[in-house]
Amino acid sequence: MPRILLAALGIVVAALYPFADNLLPFAGGTLASNYYLHLVVVIAIYSVLTLGLDIVFGYTGEVSLGHAGLFGIGAYAVGVPVFFKLGLPFFVVLPLGALVAAAFGFVLALPALRVTGPYLAMVTLAFGTIIQILINEMTFLTNGPLGVKLVTPTFWDFSDYADALPFLDMSTARMRMVEYYYVCAIVLGLVVIGVNRLLGSHIGRAFQALRDSPIASDCMGVSVYRYKVYAFVVSAGLAGLAGALSAYSEQYIAPNNYSFELTITFLLAVTMGGRKSRLGPIIGAVIVVFLPNLLADIRLFRMLAGIIAAVAVVSGGIALLRKPEKPRQIVIPVALCVAFFVFSLLLKNITDYRLSVFGMMILFVVYYLPDGIYGFLRQAVARVRPDLVRAHAIIREHGDESHVWASSPAAATSGGALLDVRSVVMQFGGLRALDRVDLAVAPGSIHGLIGPNGSGKSTMMNVLTGIYRPTGGDVVFAGAPITGLNPPDIAARGVARTFQNVQLFVELTVIENVMVGLHHSYRSNLLDIVLHTPRYKREEREARVRAASILDFVGLAGLANEEARNLPYGKQRLLEIGRALALDPTLLLLDEPAAGLTAPDIKELIDIIRKIRAHGITVILIEHHMDVVMGISDTVTVLDFGQKIAEGRPAEVQANERVIEAYLGGSTTTKVA
Amino acid sequence: MDVFLQLVVSGIAVGMIYGVIAFGYQLTFATSKTLNFGQGEALMLGALVGLTVVAYTGFWLMLPVVLAFGLLQGTVVEWLGVRQAIRMKSEAGWIMATIALGIIFRNLAENIWGRDDLRFPSPLPEAPIAMGNVRVLPMEILVVVGAIALMLAVELFNRRSIFGKAVVATANDRDAAGLMGINTSLVITFSYALSSMTAAFAGVLVAPVTLTGATMGAVLGLKAFAVAIIGGLSSGIGAIVGGLILGIAETMTGYYLSTGYKDVPGLVLLLLVLTFKPSGLFGKAAIKKV
Repeated sequence: MPRILLAALGIVVAALYPFADNLLPFAGGTLASNYYLHLVVVIAIYSVLTLGLDIVFGYTGEVSLGHAGLFGIGAYAVGVPVFFKLGLPFFVVLPLGALVAAAFGFVLALPALRVTGPYLAMVTLAFGTIIQILINEMTFLTNGPLGVKLVTPTFWDFSDYADALPFLDMSTARMRMVEYYYVCAIVLGLVVIGVNRLLGSHIGRAFQALRDSPIASDCMGVSVYRYKVYAFVVSAGLAGLAGALSAYSEQYIAPNNYSFELTITFLLAVTMGGRKSRLGPIIGAVIVVFLPNLLADIRLFRMLAGIIAAVAVVSGGIALLRKPEKPRQIVIPVALCVAFFVFSLLLKNITDYRLSVFGMMILFVVYYLPDGIYGFLRQAVARVRPDLVRAHAIIREHGDESHVWASSPAAATSGGALLDVRSVVMQFGGLRALDRVDLAVAPGSIHGLIGPNGSGKSTMMNVLTGIYRPTGGDVVFAGAPITGLNPPDIAARGVARTFQNVQLFVELTVIENVMVGLHHSYRSNLLDIVLHTPRYKREEREARVRAASILDFVGLAGLANEEARNLPYGKQRLLEIGRALALDPTLLLLDEPAAGLTAPDIKELIDIIRKIRAHGITVILIEHHMDVVMGISDTVTVLDFGQKIAEGRPAEVQANERVIEAYLGGSTTTKVA
Repeated sequence: MDVFLQLVVSGIAVGMIYGVIAFGYQLTFATSKTLNFGQGEALMLGALVGLTVVAYTGFWLMLPVVLAFGLLQGTVVEWLGVRQAIRMKSEAGWIMATIALGIIFRNLAENIWGRDDLRFPSPLPEAPIAMGNVRVLPMEILVVVGAIALMLAVELFNRRSIFGKAVVATANDRDAAGLMGINTSLVITFSYALSSMTAAFAGVLVAPVTLTGATMGAVLGLKAFAVAIIGGLSSGIGAIVGGLILGIAETMTGYYLSTGYKDVPGLVLLLLVLTFKPSGLFGKAAIKKV
C-alpha cells in the first residue's frame, strides 16, 4: 500500500507547511513566507484547473483554448456579487463559480462537439477572446477595465490565542493567508479524489473508449458526443471553481488577467506535467507558477538552460550508445538543447524575449516530452522496476455461468419479424450500395447475410446500426421504426454489433472493454461516483462480475487484465463478441466474425454463436466462410450489387442459379444468347 | 437607407479580408486536416515585411517580395510545427505547435518592428469616392479585387497544373495519393506555403486601411476561424460568403449597438451555424467509413 502511505505523507506535509519556518528554523525563515505561501495557493488553484483540463485534453483528446475564459467567469461569478454588494457567503459563491462556468461550457460544447475536427479548439479560442472583450465592455455588471476589489475571507479569528502561541504570527494578514491556504489545499484534495473517482468509473471508461474508437463507442451505446460534452462541462466547472478561488486569493480581478496566454499556460502545464494522470497536472501547475520568476531572472534562466543542456547531452550520449541506428532522432533534440543554452548566453534582456522562450518551451514539450515529466519518470521507473508502474486498475472479480446473460431473457416479440427492413436504399453519390433491399429477420433465428465483395453487406450493417442514414426505405426493429436514429440510440434498443475490421478500445484492458459494453447497466450519476454511494459501489461490483462471467463465456477469463491491443487477432474477435453481449442485445450483428481465425478457433466460434442463439438472442451473420454460414444459419439472404438476389434455407440458396452466377461469374449460355 | 448601404459596403471590404484568411485555412485543412493557429501572425509578418520593403520598391513591386516571404514562412511553420505532429499521429500536437510558433513570431516582430502601431502608406488616393450617397475608399476596392484575384489564381493553379492536381488528390485521399507516387508530405508543405502566402497578401491589403503592428493579426486570424466554420471548411465560395456575412454583421453591430460589441456576432454566428448546419453553410457532410 505505498500509495496510501504517500497520500498520508502528502497530507501531513500540506498540513504543516504554513508552519515550516517554525519547524525548520535553520532553513532561512522564508519557506512559508507570505510570498511563498501565496505562490503555493496559486499552485493549488491552478492544479484544480489543470486536473479538470486534463479530463478534456488528456482523456478525450479535445483541445480547449477557452479555459482562461472559464477561469475568468468563475472569478467574476465571485466578483459580480461583490460589485453589487450582495454579501453572498463564501461557501455559496464557490459552487456558484463552478456552476456558472459549467453552464457556459455546456453552451460552447453542445454545438462545437457535434462534428469531429479542431472545432472545439476554434470555438473556445473565439470564446476566450470574446469573454475578455465582454467583461471589459459590460461595465454595468463587471466594473469594466477597472476590475473589482475583494477581500480574502477569514473563517476563525485566532488572535485571542496569540499569547498562548507566541511563536506564531497572529496578524490578521497572516491568519487570512494561512486559513485560505487550508481552504485551497482541502479543495484541491477533494478535487483530486473526485477526479480520480470519476475517471475510474464507467464514465471515465467512456472517455477513454470514445478516444480509442469513436465508432465502436457509439455502437456500444456510449454516445461520443454526449460524453465529450460531459467531459467538457465537468472540466469547465472545475475551471470555474478555480477561478472563484483565485478571485479571493488575488483580492482583485480585472479582464486582462484572463488572456490567451493564460490558456496556453494551462495547456503547457498539463502537457509538461504529464497527461492522463493526477500527479502530472499538479507538477505542471508547480512549473508554470514558477515560470514567470524563472523568465524574469537571466542568471537563473541561464543556469537552468545549462542544466537542461547537460542532461540532454548525457542522456543523448547514453541513448546513442544503446541505439546507434537512429542518430538523427537523438542528435536533433540534444542539439536543440545546446542551442537553447547558447541562446540563453547571448540573450541580454530576457523580458523582451520572454514570450519566445515560452513558445520554444511549448514546441520542445510537444515534440520531445509528449508524455510529460510524469510520463517520463514513469517510463524510467518501469525500466528498473516494472512492477511499481501499473497503467490500469486490476480487476480480480471472478465470473460464473449464472451471470453471463441479462437477468431477464431477451423479450421475444409476439409473432412477426424482429427486424423488418423495407426497401432500403443507400445512395453514395452515383453509387447505389443498397437498392430497395427487403429483409425480414425472424426472432430467435440465425440469419446469414452473404454476397460477393462489394455487394452491400457491410453497408447494410451500417444502416441497421445507424452509422449510415438510409436514402430511402424503413427499418423497423421490435415493432418500432429505427430509421434515422443515431447509433447510441439504436444500441440502447438492443442492437449490438461487431466490426469487420476489429474496433476494440485498444488502450483499455480486456475486461474494461466488456465493461464499456455494460455502460447501460449503470444508473449512477456524477454525485454517486464522486461520493462512492452504495448504489455506485453495487453497480460497479455487479458490472465486474458480469464482465468476468462474459469473459469466461468467450474463453478470455485468463486475459482479463491484459491490454486489448496485446491480444492475438482471433482473441480480439472473440472479445468483440463478448463486448457486444455485454450490451444485453436482442439482436446481434456479427460482421465476418470468422475472418482470420484458425480452424479450431472457428469451431469454438460456432459453438459460441449457437449458445448465444440458445439464450434467445437473434443473430445476423455476415460471413465468407460458407461452411460456417451454411452450417448454422436458419435463413440465408444473398446480396449482389446492392440487390437481394436470393433468400431461403441454406440448401435452397446454395442451389440457386443466380447465387452461383454471382459468385462464379455469368454462365456462358446467357452471355452468348 | 444610405447609412445601411454604407455599412454594407464597409462590411464587404472587411469581410473579404476575413474570407482570404479563411481560404488559407481551407488550403491546409484540405490536405492535412490541420490548420495554422498562427495564421494571424503570418498575416502580420506579411504586412510588416511589406512595410519594410515598400520604402525601397513602392507598393506594386513589393507584392512579389511579400508573396515569396509568405511562401517561405508557411514552409517554416509546416516544418517546425506540423510535420512532426502528423508523423506522431498526435491529435493536439499541431494545435499547440502552431500556436507556439505564432507566439514566437509575434514576439520576434515586437522586437524587430517595435510594440507601437505603424502607418502603412496607401498606394491609392485616400480620398473616398462618392457613389451616390455611399462613400468608398479606393483601397477598399483594391482589397475586394485583390482578394478575389488571389483566390481565383490559387483555384486555377489547383485545377489546371499537374502539381495542383496532386494537391487535390491529396485532399481527397492522402493514403491513396501517396500510393500513387505523390509525395504527400511535400504537398502538405506546399499547402502551408500557399496558405501563409494568402495570409501575407491579405496583410498588405489590409495594412493601409488599418494600423500595422505585431498584434494586428490575432483578431483577424480569429475572425477568419469563425468565417471558415460559418462557410464550411471545404468550400471556397463558403469562405467568401462567410466573410461577407461576418463583415457586414460586424459593421452593423458596431453602428447600431456599440463598437465595443463588434466582435460578438462572430461567436454567435459560429455557434448558430454549428448548431444548425455543423458542416458550414456551403460544406458537405463527410461520410464516415467503418
